[in-house]
Amino acid sequence: MKKLKCKQTGLIFFPAFDWAISPTHPEREERLLYTRDQIFEEGIMDLPQILEFKPSLATAHDIARTHFCVPRVEDQTTEAHLIAAGAAILLADKVVTGQIENGFALVRPPGHHAMRVVHGNRGFCNINNEAVMIEYLRSRHGIKRVAVIDTDAHHGDGTQNIFWHDPDVLFISFHQDGRTLYPGTGFTYELGGPRALARTINIPLQPGTSDESLLYLLDNLILPILAEFKPDFIVNSAGQDNHFTDPLGSMRISAQGYAQLTEKLRPDLAVLEGGYAIETALPYVNMAIILALAGLDYTNVREPDYWPGRFKESPERLGQVRKLVDQLLHYWQLRDQVPPDSRYIQGQFYERDKRVFYDTDYIDESQLERLKLCDHCPGYLSIESDANHGSGKSGKVKCLSVPFAACSKCRSEAANTYHQSKHGGIYRYIYLQDKSTDTFFGYDADSGKEWHSEG
Amino acid sequence: MNVGVDVGGTFTDAVLLEKNLVRATAKVPTRRDLLVSVLEAIDTVLKDVDVKKLERIVFSTTTITNLIAERKYKDVALLLIPGPGLAHESYNFGTKAYILPGAIDYRGREIIPLNDRDLELALADLSRQGCSRVCVIGKFSPRNTSHEKHVADMIQKKYPSWQVDLGSMIGGQLNFPRRVVTTYLTSATRVPYHYFIESIRQAMTKREINADVFILKADGGTMSLENAEELPVETIFSGPAASTLGVQALIPPGETAVVVDIGGTTTDLALILSGQPLLSSKGARLENQLTQVRTLAVKSVPVGGDSALERAGKDFIVRSVRLGPAYCMGGPAPTPTDALRVIGLTELGDGVKAREAMAGLGTPLNLSATDVAKTVIKMVVDRIASEVNRMFLDWEQEPAYLVWEVLQKKKVRPNLVVGVGGGASGLITQIASRLRCEPVIPPYAPVANAIGAAVAKPTMQISLRADTEQEYYIIQEEGLQGKLDRRHFDEKKALELAKEKLIQRAAKYGLDVEPEEIEITHREVFNMIRDWTTTGRLFDITVQTPRGITGKVLKGGGYDEKTQM
Repeated sequence: MKKLKCKQTGLIFFPAFDWAISPTHPEREERLLYTRDQIFEEGIMDLPQILEFKPSLATAHDIARTHFCVPRVEDQTTEAHLIAAGAAILLADKVVTGQIENGFALVRPPGHHAMRVVHGNRGFCNINNEAVMIEYLRSRHGIKRVAVIDTDAHHGDGTQNIFWHDPDVLFISFHQDGRTLYPGTGFTYELGGPRALARTINIPLQPGTSDESLLYLLDNLILPILAEFKPDFIVNSAGQDNHFTDPLGSMRISAQGYAQLTEKLRPDLAVLEGGYAIETALPYVNMAIILALAGLDYTNVREPDYWPGRFKESPERLGQVRKLVDQLLHYWQLRDQVPPDSRYIQGQFYERDKRVFYDTDYIDESQLERLKLCDHCPGYLSIESDANHGSGKSGKVKCLSVPFAACSKCRSEAANTYHQSKHGGIYRYIYLQDKSTDTFFGYDADSGKEWHSEG
Repeated sequence: MNVGVDVGGTFTDAVLLEKNLVRATAKVPTRRDLLVSVLEAIDTVLKDVDVKKLERIVFSTTTITNLIAERKYKDVALLLIPGPGLAHESYNFGTKAYILPGAIDYRGREIIPLNDRDLELALADLSRQGCSRVCVIGKFSPRNTSHEKHVADMIQKKYPSWQVDLGSMIGGQLNFPRRVVTTYLTSATRVPYHYFIESIRQAMTKREINADVFILKADGGTMSLENAEELPVETIFSGPAASTLGVQALIPPGETAVVVDIGGTTTDLALILSGQPLLSSKGARLENQLTQVRTLAVKSVPVGGDSALERAGKDFIVRSVRLGPAYCMGGPAPTPTDALRVIGLTELGDGVKAREAMAGLGTPLNLSATDVAKTVIKMVVDRIASEVNRMFLDWEQEPAYLVWEVLQKKKVRPNLVVGVGGGASGLITQIASRLRCEPVIPPYAPVANAIGAAVAKPTMQISLRADTEQEYYIIQEEGLQGKLDRRHFDEKKALELAKEKLIQRAAKYGLDVEPEEIEITHREVFNMIRDWTTTGRLFDITVQTPRGITGKVLKGGGYDEKTQM
């Protein structure tokens, strides 16, 4: 028997049946249609273990607390984005205040490819629903430590980017190897910034990986790390394109595999990410995840062309997964003992150059990211970003981000830099995002206008 | 001329309407023999009337609700075809059920075929146990009826005397467990319901009434007597629907109002939003059984004029039981009615006894009768007002699946609190003031339910699902499946087809419908894209005959101030 719970599983089902990136795009109206049919026909919403909520909209400030949208939040979001992020926030709020046991935001559009600076849509994402929700929880509920487990077939590079320097957010992603799938990142050596080493853990898997390997790395890598990290809140970026029928990915995970994963992981909140086998996978995988979250029997959920034992893992592949797990565990053990690489240190800053390509919108962005190496706090972040939209027209922006646990020196230094950058004619827009005071400032150098928001 | 009759648990009410004027009203006790009560009520309103001038007579009743609540119905066996999904152990409907292997998917495609051997074994077992009523219900059967029909054919061949009901014909919406319950209750209540229908038929024959006879449905529409016999479960909750429609007919058009029907032990609440009764987004709930029956959004609060009051420590409790009439009317225990009498909000009963009842509760706490009465009334008013607020909140919080739906829903609050029914009218003013509304007790409030029945109109709906990739369509209410040509089928064609089928179905039940008055209540069109090209379209369209009432009801005859509250 499954454990008996007194609290319910909260569910927001928001299929956005009137929103699409374009009529034939995988991220289109039809995507959750068959999932709707399946969960309605099963009577899921009537189950005493399930409580359905209506989504609410995230505010522009909720977005600005996490992202730097260029030029403004309104230019990068549609109402559908605000609803999807708002759904994650609403459920997280209910979990943290003890009204529900856990939740599943079965929403679109997805978000895990959206990075800190947003010039457009990449990987079907504009706004990172999970990151927006996490920053809301930290700012409103004082949640300290959060773990994100990204189970989408594509590397969650947006979430990784947002929490790269954050020692209090553990980001673990398993995905199909970046050499064979978008976005081409997520290798084992991507371990996070100098002050948050091994708080980013990437588990690249070979095409064709099935349930057995998945559960092995869950039991032997993910769960042990979680036990040591002791998060206050666990988020699952629940992409479903590891499914054996997905048209974009080439993995072989089944609905049963997803259910077992969910049952073992016990996330506080799952948020739907990708998954584009809209008929052959989504109705079954979503059902399986809902039942597993609610502590209900999921063993009878079965895709039409699946039978137990259909996918056998080869001994070679299992051996490779074992090696991968050992290697990553080793990195995890060393997490606080590795000093920052001196090659990247410039004065008091740790610098890196980044190029970001926006596949959906064809934007080429170059970034210089500088982290203040502070002895008293995680340090503020300064980002110079230049985006080429292909039209030749571009404008540099400067983004300053002050972390939740910032010391007063970093806070005032970031504010000074913001004010100084307004003049000098280098930047078109300048932003200051201070999480420690929950305030946001934006400045348009052409018009000389400033705007601000606070939580 | 129209007659409305509401057969309630305690009273049978009737009104006679002539061109939307009330000509006569009646209120008689409901007796064990329904025929006697029905005759008594209609005789009162039809006194001095030529029955040949009667056009329609509409009945509403709580009979079915009571039958189900008391589980007074025949045993029915279920043959379920659930396929993969929720664990089969979770399907417990409190009656004998067989699980048959087989499965249909969300697009209506067969994924697991039926197995005749398993079916035969189940049927033989049922036959051995002397069962003769069977419901066959498959998951996704509204998308493909072939499995259910195959089972029905097999039963027809082997056990032609059995009565068989198919889930796809009765519960056409997507919700398998609710489809099972709806089908099961339909089958189970058919025989006892027949008795109710027969009483009405006999009454009509005895009084030589040839008018059209209708039964009110839970959604505020009506269906003919024959129709109702087929789908008795549609008429559950027609009691609250009747009083809501009555209020709709009695208040000015376009108002947003709460209908508060305070009875002996329960208070029924319903909402009228901008002049239209609110339909529940989900099917009716009966006890703990969830159905697919379309219903007005009504809520029953277990508090009424005769609820027994008790003291517990320093507090008072309003119990959800009735021990008898109010103390001031000779009952055994103090009640909210006694409290109203003490405050002077009602003239009913004996004032001295009422004070005695309140004082009895208050003495150990050193509270006067008036103090107790005020506290009790505040408790009752608070309870009902908070339930009203919760109803509006629930309505606002109803899930939305489209961007525009999330954006457009506004906060709405009522401006009228309308009291109907016989009990505890003194509470209406208090509830209204708590909700910052205007209190209204319309003329004919005690027989508002019969007025609601009299003004109700026949309604009918048809749900079309078309899948151009698979080149088929299905009319859910009829279990009818047909072929279509994908090259010549578009949204316009889909709408035309739905309307045509509605007109045909309406004609079958003697209802004239003009194509231009048909309302579209649901319209969903999805392009199916496979590998970047459009391979087909999915249409889900629901059309219905217009909803509404025959007209506003005005003061006419039969209006007796003394029967007013």
